[in-house]
Amino acid sequence: MFKHMSPKERTEAKWGLLFVAPTILGLIILNFYPIFNTIYQSFCKTGDFGRGNTFVGLANYSKVLAASETWQSFWNTIKYAIIEVPFGIIIALILAVLLNKKIGGRSIYRTIFFLPMVCAPAAVAMVWKWLYNTQFGLLNNIFHTSIAWISDPNIAWISIGVIGVWSIIGYNMVLFIGGLQEIPGDFYEAASIDGANGLRQFFSITVPLLSPTTFFIVQTRIIGALTIFDLMFMVMDKTNVALKKVQSVVYLFYQYAFTNGNKGYGATLVVVLLIFIMILTFVLQQVEKKVVYHN
Amino acid sequence: MKKRVLVGALAGMILALPLSAQAYNVSELQVNIWDNNQLAGIQQIADEWTEESGVKVTINVVDWDNYWTLLEAGASGGQMPDVFWMHSNTAQMYMENDLLLNLDDYIAADDAIDLANYYEGVVNLYNSNGVQYALPKDHDTIALLYNKALFDKYGVEYPTDDWTWDDLLAAATAITEAGAADGVYGYAINTANNQDGWYNIVYDYGAQIITDDHKGTTIGSDEGKAAMEKLRQILEVSAPQTTVAETGTDSLFQSGLTAMITQGSWMINSFYTSENSADYAWAMLPYADVNENGACDPGERYSAYNGLGWAASYQVADPDAAYSLISYLCSEKGQLEQAELGVTMGGMLGVSDAFSNAFPGMDVSAFVRAEEEGDLFFRPYTRNTTVWEDALQQAGGFLDAWQNPSDPAVMAAACDNAQAIIEQAIANE
Repeated sequence: MFKHMSPKERTEAKWGLLFVAPTILGLIILNFYPIFNTIYQSFCKTGDFGRGNTFVGLANYSKVLAASETWQSFWNTIKYAIIEVPFGIIIALILAVLLNKKIGGRSIYRTIFFLPMVCAPAAVAMVWKWLYNTQFGLLNNIFHTSIAWISDPNIAWISIGVIGVWSIIGYNMVLFIGGLQEIPGDFYEAASIDGANGLRQFFSITVPLLSPTTFFIVQTRIIGALTIFDLMFMVMDKTNVALKKVQSVVYLFYQYAFTNGNKGYGATLVVVLLIFIMILTFVLQQVEKKVVYHN
Repeated sequence: MKKRVLVGALAGMILALPLSAQAYNVSELQVNIWDNNQLAGIQQIADEWTEESGVKVTINVVDWDNYWTLLEAGASGGQMPDVFWMHSNTAQMYMENDLLLNLDDYIAADDAIDLANYYEGVVNLYNSNGVQYALPKDHDTIALLYNKALFDKYGVEYPTDDWTWDDLLAAATAITEAGAADGVYGYAINTANNQDGWYNIVYDYGAQIITDDHKGTTIGSDEGKAAMEKLRQILEVSAPQTTVAETGTDSLFQSGLTAMITQGSWMINSFYTSENSADYAWAMLPYADVNENGACDPGERYSAYNGLGWAASYQVADPDAAYSLISYLCSEKGQLEQAELGVTMGGMLGVSDAFSNAFPGMDVSAFVRAEEEGDLFFRPYTRNTTVWEDALQQAGGFLDAWQNPSDPAVMAAACDNAQAIIEQAIANE
């Protein structure tokens, strides 16, 4: 591969490879090996403790695709994404625009909104679990209601989504602020002189020029939301009636692979999820070309 | 010259060791357990062994769910702790895959251990194909826990050892009705309270969750349905399912919002040390007067029992040291101390009295009476217990009936579903 290079280029290329070697090695050991091993296991009836795997072809896939709980959990996951992604982005965008202005205590507000990102997700979930508690929860006490926030199948998925939004707005906001600071101030000045008000400026300058950032967030958050696990796992007890209407695909994977010890079935579930995410990402990439504004 | 100094130094070291101590080639053993309540007591006993052996014992507490994830990952990757607890849910799988140290030769050569001195069910649990893989650490039974303050407040008589499940139903009804304004319930039980809850009533009525050969169940039989029908009547006046799932029966009891729960002996310490423990008292589990002669006959009062085992990894660096620790913990001295410290009841027979006395001010003898006066059944298990055990607790299992306790047909259907779930799970093992 070094044949057509000058000696200098060759040395550079060698050093370059050397520098990225740790990353390549890390990716192979921590990402690629597990991915291929998971795909392999999805074709197996796995034995205990990773021993005695027997190849069963597509048997796991036909079971997974035929099970109604698979599709229910896919639907649950999508419902979660429908709440987390748009609300997490819209609220974060508004906050970012406000906190990008020169207002007093700006960095304090930024810190406060970013805090959920710093907290351990398990701790966040535990706090929300008690906020939502029907009998003792702060929410029902403040509003004098007795709503079963996390036990009513019609409400529970929204309650879980709200935690997701709350957790992610800080992170999205920081990305938006970064994007906002790249928009030259001249544009706004020129627009003001032409008589455009704040709202008009927002929709005609901020939104289009921010679209690469927005698209990046949309794409990463969709993937993030589709692989959600910790919120359902921490907030909802195993005996919660609403669990089946809320549990995500990864939750189902955890249940099969780790609780029931059926690694092959679990692997199949995540491979199906992987394919689903890949298709979605491909579609999003096509959309990007049409929607995103590049100067 | 150098060589002579070295030999001299070695000889000095050997002479300096107490004669009784055996030299081990490790300086530390890693021990994993899942119950933080037991850490202090077990560390104390292990430290005594350290004094004799010179090997340090480091105990790591990993919570129940992660304990098994971690142990399984360790077993798959060859990184298990040296010594650890085994449980009926998973023991079969670990033994069949030879992941535990074969203790047969060690036991045969050990004067301190005679398997006949231990609870038979626990010994057998950790024996696979004639090989003993773990020694009984403890055993546990179930009793009824009640809050005297709530019984006084609503003028209901305290539970006694003569209670039937109908008496419990009557008391729960009275308290739930009188306490409605305060949000107080007579009784609380979740689908997850199986070993410490509804399994017991099923056996009282003559059905079995898992039959003696571990190949089937009779939960869907008439006896099983009769038992769960009685439980359904109790559920009608108990804390609703959403409440027990969100808050937990223990928290409800400790907040003074439920007057009775059933609990296992491994939980005593948690209630003994809680804020209002002076109000708490224990009675034997109620019985089912199946033959209606007004007395508790053999087979009418059951308590589940289970026992943990002390096991070692098959690839432990120094099996002699690991066994020596296990033997110390399971010897009469270790078992008595475990009971006296109130850690748990013994895996060895005859140390339970010491346990009864471990909680001054609280009478916990109901747990001992449960085995002296009532019958015990071993916690139901199959090769992969978790699969059906979890399914029974969720929608499609008994959760439907818990959710809708006013309809007898739902409970009967849940029993049929449970029968199918268990049979299906066993067929897949």
